[in-house]
Amino acid sequence: MVEARNFMFLFYGLTAAWLIVIGYIFYLVQRDRKLSKELGRLRNLVGDGERTER
Amino acid sequence: MREKAIYILGLLGAIALVANMYNIFLVLPDEANQGAIYRIIFFHVPAAIIAFTFFFVALICSVAFLAFKTFKADAIAVAATEVGVMFATINLVTGSIWGRNIWGIWWTWDYRITSMFVCVLLYLGYLIMRPAITEPTQRATLAAVLSIFAFADVPIVWFSIRWWRTQHPGPVLETGGLPHNMAMALLYNFLALLAIGTALVLVRLRSEHVQREIESLRRLALVEA
Repeated sequence: MVEARNFMFLFYGLTAAWLIVIGYIFYLVQRDRKLSKELGRLRNLVGDGERTER
Repeated sequence: MREKAIYILGLLGAIALVANMYNIFLVLPDEANQGAIYRIIFFHVPAAIIAFTFFFVALICSVAFLAFKTFKADAIAVAATEVGVMFATINLVTGSIWGRNIWGIWWTWDYRITSMFVCVLLYLGYLIMRPAITEPTQRATLAAVLSIFAFADVPIVWFSIRWWRTQHPGPVLETGGLPHNMAMALLYNFLALLAIGTALVLVRLRSEHVQREIESLRRLALVEA
C-alpha cells in the first residue's frame, strides 16, 4: 500500500515537471507565431511607406 | 548555425534523457527508507542546479551590458532568466510533491524552501518588469541591475542548508551521501536537462531578436508617419 502511494506521488511529480516543460514550449511556439505575424505586418507597413515616398 | 545547434542540443538531450529513464526506473533499486519516490531527485536537483546556472549566465550578461552596453548581452540575460525560472518552478513543484509524500506536508516556510521561493519571485519580477519599460536602454539597464540584485539570493538558497537547521535535508552531493550509481544517473540527467535547457534558451533568444526587430520597425513606422 505504501509502495503504491509512493509510485502515485512519483507519477504526480514527474507529470508536473513535464507539464511545466511542455507548457513553456507551447508558450514559446505561440509567442514565436505572434511575433512572426507582427514582423510581417510591420515589414509590409514600412515597405509600403518607403514605396509611397519614392 | 543557431538553428542547427537548437536541433542538435534538443535531440541529444532527449536521447540522453530517454536512455537515462531506463536506468532510473528499471535498473536502479529503490532507496531503503523512501522507496520509489526518491527518484524525483533526478529531476528536482538538476532543475535547481540548471536554474542557478542560467541565473549565473544572466548575471554575467547583465554585468556585461552595464559595462559595454551591448544589447546582445541583455538578450541572452532575458532568455537565460526565463528558462531559469521554468527550471526553478520545476524544482519547487517536484520538491513540494516529494515533501507531501515524505514529510506529510505540501509546504513549509523553512530557510531553503522559502529562499528558493523568493528567488523565483525576484526573477519573475525581472520578467514582469521588462515589458513595462518601453525605452530599450532604460529597460536593459534596470533589468541588469535587478538581475544582479536577484542573484544575491542564489548563494543564500545554496548555503541555507549548511547555515541553518531546515526541514529540507542537508547536502548529499558534496558529502558523498549518494551511492555511485545514483550519483552518475543524477549527473547524466543533469547533462541531458542542461542540453534541453540550452536549446530552449537559444529558441527564446531567437524570439528576443525578432522582438527587437519589431521594436525598431515600429519606431521607423512612427518616424515615417
